Amino acid sequence: MFAFTVRRVAQAVLVMLIISLIGFSIKHNFGDPVRELVGERVTPQERQQIRDQLGLNDPFMVQYGRFLKSAVHGDLGRSFFFKKPVTEVILAKAPATLELVFCASLIVILLSVPLGIYSAIHPRRLLSRLIMGVSIVGVSMPVFLTAILLIYIFSVELGWLPSFGRGETVQLFGFWDSGLLTRDGLRHLLMPSVALSSIMLPLFIRLIRSEMMEVLETEYVKFAWAKGLRPRRVWYVHAFKNTLLPVITVGGVQLGIMVAFTILTETVFQWQGMGSMFIESVERADTALMVSYIVVVGFIFVVVNTLVDLIYGLVNPTVRIAGRK
Amino acid sequence: MINFLRRLRSSDFSYYFFRDPIALVSFAVLLVLVVAAFSAPLIAPHNPYDPTTIDIMDSELPPAWAAEGSRNFLLGTDDMGRGMFSTMLYGMRISIIIGLGAVLLQAMIGIVVGLLSGYIKRLDSILMRIADVQLSFSTYMIAIFIGATFQMVFGVANYEKIAAPLLILIIGLAEWPQYARTVRASVLAERQKEYIEAARVIGLSKVRIMWRHILPNTLSPVLVISTVQVANAIMSEAALSFLGLGMPQNKPSLGSLITSGFEYIFSGSWWITIFPGILLVTLILVINLLGDWVRDYLNPKLYKG
Amino acid sequence: MKRMIVRLSLVLAVTLVAWGTSVNAATLKLAMDADPVSLDPHVQLSAGMLQYAHMVFDPLVRWSKDGGLEPRLAEKWEQINPTTTRFYLRKGVKFHSGNELSADDVVFTLARLKKSEDYKGLFEYFTEAKAVDSHTVDLITREPYGLVLAMATYIFPLDHKFYSGKDEQNGKMKDVIIKTDYSFANFNESGTGPFKVTGREQGVKTTFVRFGDYWDPNTGNVSEIILTPISEPPTRVAALLSGDVDFIMPVPPTDLERVKKTDGLQLVTMSGSRIITFQLNQKRRPEFANAKVRQAMAYAYNNVGVAKKIMKGFATPAAQNSPRGYQGHNAALQPRYDLARAKELMKEAGYEKGFSCTMIAPNNRYVNDAKIAQAFVTMMSKIKIKVTLKTMPKAQYWDQYDAQVADIQMIGWHSDTEDSANFFEYLNMCPDKETGRGQYNSGNYCNPEVDRLTLAANGETDNAKRSVMLRSIEQILFDDAAFIPLHWQNLSWASKKNMNTEEIINVMNFPYFGDLNIQ
Repeated sequence: MFAFTVRRVAQAVLVMLIISLIGFSIKHNFGDPVRELVGERVTPQERQQIRDQLGLNDPFMVQYGRFLKSAVHGDLGRSFFFKKPVTEVILAKAPATLELVFCASLIVILLSVPLGIYSAIHPRRLLSRLIMGVSIVGVSMPVFLTAILLIYIFSVELGWLPSFGRGETVQLFGFWDSGLLTRDGLRHLLMPSVALSSIMLPLFIRLIRSEMMEVLETEYVKFAWAKGLRPRRVWYVHAFKNTLLPVITVGGVQLGIMVAFTILTETVFQWQGMGSMFIESVERADTALMVSYIVVVGFIFVVVNTLVDLIYGLVNPTVRIAGRK
Repeated sequence: MINFLRRLRSSDFSYYFFRDPIALVSFAVLLVLVVAAFSAPLIAPHNPYDPTTIDIMDSELPPAWAAEGSRNFLLGTDDMGRGMFSTMLYGMRISIIIGLGAVLLQAMIGIVVGLLSGYIKRLDSILMRIADVQLSFSTYMIAIFIGATFQMVFGVANYEKIAAPLLILIIGLAEWPQYARTVRASVLAERQKEYIEAARVIGLSKVRIMWRHILPNTLSPVLVISTVQVANAIMSEAALSFLGLGMPQNKPSLGSLITSGFEYIFSGSWWITIFPGILLVTLILVINLLGDWVRDYLNPKLYKG
Repeated sequence: MKRMIVRLSLVLAVTLVAWGTSVNAATLKLAMDADPVSLDPHVQLSAGMLQYAHMVFDPLVRWSKDGGLEPRLAEKWEQINPTTTRFYLRKGVKFHSGNELSADDVVFTLARLKKSEDYKGLFEYFTEAKAVDSHTVDLITREPYGLVLAMATYIFPLDHKFYSGKDEQNGKMKDVIIKTDYSFANFNESGTGPFKVTGREQGVKTTFVRFGDYWDPNTGNVSEIILTPISEPPTRVAALLSGDVDFIMPVPPTDLERVKKTDGLQLVTMSGSRIITFQLNQKRRPEFANAKVRQAMAYAYNNVGVAKKIMKGFATPAAQNSPRGYQGHNAALQPRYDLARAKELMKEAGYEKGFSCTMIAPNNRYVNDAKIAQAFVTMMSKIKIKVTLKTMPKAQYWDQYDAQVADIQMIGWHSDTEDSANFFEYLNMCPDKETGRGQYNSGNYCNPEVDRLTLAANGETDNAKRSVMLRSIEQILFDDAAFIPLHWQNLSWASKKNMNTEEIINVMNFPYFGDLNIQ
């Protein structure tokens, strides 16, 4: 177990290194950050001077070396736009995104488990078909359209929910701005979470249904039936428990991917999280912030995947985790 | 050929297919949509990709049955003065090509990587970490990077020609890790089972075990993902055009048409938002219903057990 | 768990009460497409920063709604010799820090402007400001200069006592201008303006509170402004429609009708002064060196149709750079859409069969930029010019623009000096790396006569003579079809009905929120 953890940490560091290397080598494709800092009438010569001052004209390896050197000290560079260290910017924005993803995941799990189980138990019923059909509407609409439709219906027409932003937040532990503790914050959270979960919901329902149907045909479920157990017990205890394994592996990764999906949702709802920050950093060619964001996301992926592998190993003892021999 | 059809007719496949009205209807709708999309040049009253036929003064006409509608444009016109009906047909063709192409590419890369990393322990860590790196560079960044690189190679002049293959490449490259992880997960589960042990004991080669024994048994989750992924790929293209990186302006896909619907949501020109939306939802819906049906059918235990 | 629930419900109850009572009549919730990038007005020359400057600082003089000038911190002014203009400052004006405004602050501010990368170009003609006494200051130019007062609208006196000395946080002087990093001025302000910044979370919201000691008693009644940037236009409109904000700018053209028709909302639009053009690169494309081809393209482009259909009347069709009201505006030049004439010209030029070319345009820089470009492609196809268009986000666009990767490139321009010569200097003079002239002339149009007249106009202080010169330049550019002018982008603001929005806006797009009255 210890060796496994050490190995994964080493891998995570390697992944982040590679990401930063790739990020650095392609960053010039995203435009000239200086262009976004100055007005249009500043001459090319002056822009060159500013680039020189910022070290943007140095050879690639020099720039990357400088980045690594300060990264060792926990400094990932400074955001040109925010005029602050990028770690500070990302830490300030992370709670918004994580809370959004958390709530969306909650919606996905709370809905997909009962709906998935139901449609697996009664695959040919009309209601099951309806569930499968309706859920697909969410995924066949781009999330930005779902988002604006929600705003149109619930903010503009009905006036029930606020149309943008996070509303009132409460600071926890000195750095975490939480919208989960105020009524206003929760009201603001509702529509973005629904919009975000709509993309993942059909996949989860389908996954649970398909896995569950397979499990229902296995020998031990048949055996459970033969023992005369009550249907509820067979379905929820024997069958569903065994469905969880693949659902966790695929689902875990999907939840990780959801962090990346927040980009559009956040933009439409003017939700001030990492996603909209990333889009803006690309639009402004704020390269330090951009590269740091992908490094952080890479880290999140490695962590999520490690957790998935760990849970996988715990739930299914026959799968050996590499390194535990 | 006749022989094949005869065999098909008497097969279980067609037996179950014809007994399921939803599968039947879905298939019929899909067939109509695909045929309509690919014969767009024949069916569509206008060619929206030919700029000489478009007049800006026709823009934003409501559907023909509305008071200000024109008989020329059955479903109204968009902001450029293109007929919605024709543009949607052409756009659907591009969207189907991009959706299927990207999913094919994703699946190919993903399945190979997933099989290798699930079955060959030494490769597991490195392949999965490559997948993590890949996932971190979202579709958005890959689109900017590949777009810039290709423009350097091909110039602006060829941009319209390479746009669709380019988007297939971008979406395919960006989203294969989802397949890889799914396949790997099922491979990990399968490789523990007795029949694989048995195959190993009788001395079958690794390639043969992976290809003939493990792969078929991982197809069920792959299929589940695939039908949703087709939708996702079409959505990715829509999202890219939302960010200004999708199909060229004058060759809109269904996704980019929906993107322009985003702007028109409050404007009162509802047909610009609604019609492409309905078409896309229908398309994705039937693909997924069919996918569900095929999955149920392919899982032999369910019907024949 | 129980305690947790109790605590949660307590928090809920408290917030509910706070929520119920926090109704303040004179709070303005404002949504713009972006928020100020810094609190330092000299860090960037952009519309957003100037809008901010008008809230927190006051200029010496400012533009009035009709394009004239009205006194602000300068009560009056006079020209005492061809290169010196004397400004008499208002007495008893306080900065937010409590310091009193004096001539030294103006001297300090001009010196700082000349250090700013963004402003030093604009203030090139100014040598210095000299304090005559505590409330009189002379602005001195290198040579006679016709635009001294226009430039005085950019002088927002900074509190020089507040901005002097060393800052402990970074060990640098407080007045240093830093674009990309912490500086004292980036995070602190002391101006004379109607509002003080009391809270700022960049990109999330900025809170402004009325400055109690503001000098001007005849102003509005807004006691607090909460500025939220909302970058997506439909979301911005939704926020107004749902009542979550009171005032938005800009309003996207597609939603003008909707806002106008909604009860309780008002829409104010105004013809703007940003010209949108296409430049035809003669170096890349020999066909474009032929004046007949360029003219044919100008005749084939339907400005009026685009302004009506794509811009929804939210643009004024243009046939020249200078909008109405500018010295160079030549009323004789009108949009010339005439397809038959265009075809004829193509025939005369020997390109009856047409040709192919490429074009790039941004897709998030100007209003409806990508759509306009697409409409242009459609129209050119009617005279058999096949245009391959690529649109891209602005961050990537400008590098491509500079590299001139395509034959036709889009550019919009707003004259910072509110003067026609500025257009010619940047867009139409022969490109010259040494002097920086023609910096944004990617068409490589080069006409010595245009260069000569523009330079002569800059040195001319007689407005009547100057106007004749500038108008003749527009005529030459029109006759040569040096570029394809499209339209001037209009400006738009939308707000709730209970405020005097109409009175605080102007063609510069600097709403004077200090004067806003909410009933």
